[in-house]
This record gives sequence, C-alpha cells and structure tokens, in this order.
Amino acid sequence: MMMDIGLVVFGGLSWAMATFLVAAGLTLIFGILHILNFAHGGFFMVGAYLAWAMIEALGGGVSIWTYIAVALVSGAVVGALGVLVDVTIFRRLRDVEDAYALIATYALLMVCIGAIELIWGLDFRAIMPPEALNSALFIGDLIAPTFTIFIIVCGVVVYVALEVFMARTETGKLVRIVAHDAWMARLLGLDVTRIYLITVVISFALAGLAGGLLVANQGLSPELGGVFLLQAFGVVIVGGMGSIRGAFLAALLLGQIESIGGMLFPNYPGIFYLVALAGLLLIRPQGLLTKGRTEWV
Amino acid sequence: MNRDLAKTMALAGLGGAAFLCVPLVANSGVVFLAGLVAINIVFALSWNLLFAGAGLLSFGHSMFLAAGAYTMAKFSLSAPEVPFLLTLVLAALSGGVLAWVFGFVALRRASGTYFAILTLAFSALVHIVITKTDALGRADGLVGIRRPEIGVGSLRLSLDGDMYYVFIVLSMTLAALALWCFTHSPTGRLLQAIKQDRLRTSFLGANVRRWQLLAFCVSGVFAALAGAVMAPWSQIVSPEIAHWSMSTMPILYALLGGTSRFWGPALGAILFGMLDYGTRNMLGLADMTSGILLLVVVLAVPGGILGLLLRVGRTREEAKG
Repeated sequence: MMMDIGLVVFGGLSWAMATFLVAAGLTLIFGILHILNFAHGGFFMVGAYLAWAMIEALGGGVSIWTYIAVALVSGAVVGALGVLVDVTIFRRLRDVEDAYALIATYALLMVCIGAIELIWGLDFRAIMPPEALNSALFIGDLIAPTFTIFIIVCGVVVYVALEVFMARTETGKLVRIVAHDAWMARLLGLDVTRIYLITVVISFALAGLAGGLLVANQGLSPELGGVFLLQAFGVVIVGGMGSIRGAFLAALLLGQIESIGGMLFPNYPGIFYLVALAGLLLIRPQGLLTKGRTEWV
Repeated sequence: MNRDLAKTMALAGLGGAAFLCVPLVANSGVVFLAGLVAINIVFALSWNLLFAGAGLLSFGHSMFLAAGAYTMAKFSLSAPEVPFLLTLVLAALSGGVLAWVFGFVALRRASGTYFAILTLAFSALVHIVITKTDALGRADGLVGIRRPEIGVGSLRLSLDGDMYYVFIVLSMTLAALALWCFTHSPTGRLLQAIKQDRLRTSFLGANVRRWQLLAFCVSGVFAALAGAVMAPWSQIVSPEIAHWSMSTMPILYALLGGTSRFWGPALGAILFGMLDYGTRNMLGLADMTSGILLLVVVLAVPGGILGLLLRVGRTREEAKG
C-alpha cells in the first residue's frame, strides 16, 4: 500500500511538471496580452520536432548536457518565431473581440500542425532519453525513472526562474506593470509594445524549451501538441488565468487527481483530469488564486 | 407568409437544386464530397446559431456531431427494424440531450473564454469515452452502416447510392430553413438582444441563462442531425468525428463565409469543400492552407467572404447612383 501511494504521488508529480512546462508560457501570455494562445501547443511541438531533428543529426544517443543544450536551442529558435508571430499577428489582435482572437490563435495552431506534417510527415518518431537518464532510482519500494526525476527538476527550475525573473529583474517588473494596467503604463511613457514583444518571446521560448525537454519518452506525432495543450489549458484556467504560481499549484493538484484516477480506472486515462477540471471550474470559475478579475500573481 | 421567408425559401430551393444537379455532371467521388458539403452546411449553421445568434463560442461542436452519428450507427447496426426517420429524430434528440446536460452545468457559471474552454474539455471527454467504450467500437469505430430504407407498410423506397444523396440534399435544405426560421423568430431576436447586451436584456425580464440553454440545445439538435445523416453516407463512424479538430470545421466555414450573415457559413462550407478537393493529395497542405486562410479572414476580412462581396456590391451601387 505504501508503494502505491508513493507511485501515485510520483506519477502525479511527473504529470504536473510536464504539464507546467507547457503551461508556464501559456499563462504568461494570457496574463499580459489577455490572449489565450491555442498556438502554444503548436509551437511546443515545433520545439519537440526541432530537438528531435538535432539529436538525430548528432547521431542519436547524446549526453545529458547536450540534451539540455539542444532543448535550449529549440527554445531560442521558437522564441525567435515568437517575434515573427507577435509582429504579424498578435499586434493586430489587440483591438479584436476575444472570440476572434481565440479563433486566430486556433488558426495559427493549424498552420503549425500543417507545417510539421509537411516537413516531418505523420509517422511516429521517438528518441531515447540520454544515457545518464535512462535508468531508474530505487527509493524504498518505489522505482523512479531518472528521466521522470529530470522532468520534475526541470519543472521546478523553470518555475523558480520565472518567479525570480518576475519579482527581481527590471524587465520582470515592467512586465508586471503592463499586466496590471497597460493603459497607465503607456501614459507613464513605457514602451508597452516592446514589453508585449518581450513577453511573447519568453512565452514562445518556454514552449520550445518544453518541447525540447519533453521530447524523449514521447511518441512524437502531430497529435501530441493537442494533448499537452488541453492539459495546459486546464492548469492555466484552474490556476487563475495569468498567474504563474497558480498554474504551478494547479498542476500539482490536477496531477495528483489524474494520478489517483489513473490508478482507480486504468482503462480511462485522461478522464479524471477532465472531470476534475470541469468540477473545479464550476466551483471557482475565476481560478484558484485570483480574486475576480485576472490579476498578476 | 412574409417576403423575407419567401425569398429565403427561393434561395434555399435554388441552392438545393444546384446540389441535386451535381450527380448529373460529376463522378461519384465528387458526389460523395458534395453530400458531405451539404451536411457540413447544416453543421456550420448550427454552430453559427450559437456564435452569431447567441454570442456563445463553442469549441466542442464535434461532440454533437458524434452523438448523432453514433446514435444513428448504433441503431442501424443493432436495431435495423426501427424506422429510419424515427432513428433520425432520436439521433437529433441525442444531441439536444447532450447539449442540455452540458449546457445546464456550464452556462451556470462560465461565460466567454471559460465557456469556450469548457466546451473543448467536455468534447475531449466525449472523445475519450468513445475510444474506450466497447459498444461504440473503441478506436476502430463502427463500420458497415447500411444505406437506409424509408416507407410505410409495403411501400418501401431504398435510399441507395444517388437516392441517398437526394435525401441528404432535401433533408439538409429543410434543416437549414428550419434554422433560418428559428433565427428570425421572436426567440432568435431575443437571443440576439442577449448577445448584444446581456445585462440590459435581463433587466427587461428575460431569463438569460435559460434562453442561452435553449439556443445551445437547438444548436446541439441540428449538429446531431447533421451527424446522423452523415453516418449512412460515409457508412463508417470513427472517433475522429468526435475529435476536436472536427470542432474546428464549423468555425472555419462560418468565419470564411461570414458569421454576420445567415448564409455565410453555407458559402464557407462550399468554398472550403472545393479547397479541400483541390489539396486532397497533399499531406499537411490542407491544414496549413485552412489555417492561413482562417488567419487572413480573421485579421483582414472579419466579415468573411459574403460580407466582403456584399460590401463590394454596395460600394459599386453607390458609385453608380
């Protein structure tokens, strides 16, 4: 029984941090631009495919540091794509109705999926985790794959880094000002457009990074983005749109629920999370950590 | 009968007649596609009834399509003795029931973006349940759905091949007309008022949530009807029909054609059917072109093609006068 509890908690943590990696960028854009970005799932996949292609080009089995470096490069490339997307699309969406903005990002997701199908095809792709992460730790009776531990550590690192960035750096503080009141920030002479651009680039870079970090152990197919996107949406909404801390906590909570559900009903993976999401939304539609309007932290 | 209705019936009749001419000039592949387009028109109109008619954005319309299609398929395979038209009604109602259950819960608290995401999550749930349920064929779906027969007593008409195509066109024309009547009924106008100013309409004494729930159910019924008619046409129902990419389709058609006009989504569905036919052999290109097209429409021509055409027409008339 102890082992079961350990297994459930560990499984939930792994789900939580993988989802948080995707959700972090999503909640960032929502908090500042007030756009719920469907395309995030698409660019997450672009990051994953890029990482896959780079690792294949390097001959397959890579060391853990190369693996991280590849993920960072994916993040940088997708971040650069973010500049393009912000200038050509997001900037035009500011005066558009919410529903149309939502549909526009949906369209962008379709473009991403189409591009991936054109370049890489529909086949499943898979790569092994780096050698150093391809084993397991034995904690008591619990068997913990090192790659899963790696993902959990990555999730925590990204969370802490984002919190520090937002709370301590000047850019982070500017981003928070714009999130709080963009109109006032503009009156005070801040370059709001530039801060929006920075936000989009960081968010896209996080999507690419998440893709690169999670690429191993995943069957890589154009479907993948949708799966992660839906989970990330849930986390972002439950956490309170725009709150990074909320998303982190929501990921932990939903991860445990999903993990418990997966153990009780192994034939229906993914259902518990959706039921929990619907339930939480009905109890607290504004999210766990927000009071009414979407607010930063 | 008022003039608007007469005009609409004439227009729908012309459209239906044009569809009926397709088998005379095209091969069976094109006829199959035309049948799907006719079905998609009603699917898109049902979505737009919510979006343009009641201000509710649904990202989960595939669940109603799937409800109708699976109900039809299940009856046709397990209980073929039930008359086809009765099955059709039951299948359409299944969408209404699903819409009521979901809408009853979701409309209570959520609105705007939250509502849109809830529809998405709920349809994802429906998709998973279908792929995991033995009675619904799991991931393989239900195959071998026969084309139906209709008739009373010994007078029977087998709707095979092109005859079923005729049935599709006729039933979908009637469904589109019914949707038009609903949109232009007092209820439709009330929903329009709710969309434009929710608070003011509630001050006027309207129970906003109940009317929105009604709109949701009507939309669900017609989407399920489209699914029910689709099942015998493609003769296979797979979980793909409940997938969220299916929910994109009506959005795409409606925005492409123009949401603010009743027939906009119909035009969008037809144009998109042609586009799909043109890019059918190119993997990935279909997704890419529809994505780019949708982006361009949202960013550059928010009124859709029909809105654009009408605007151009008006400008030209003004230039003349």
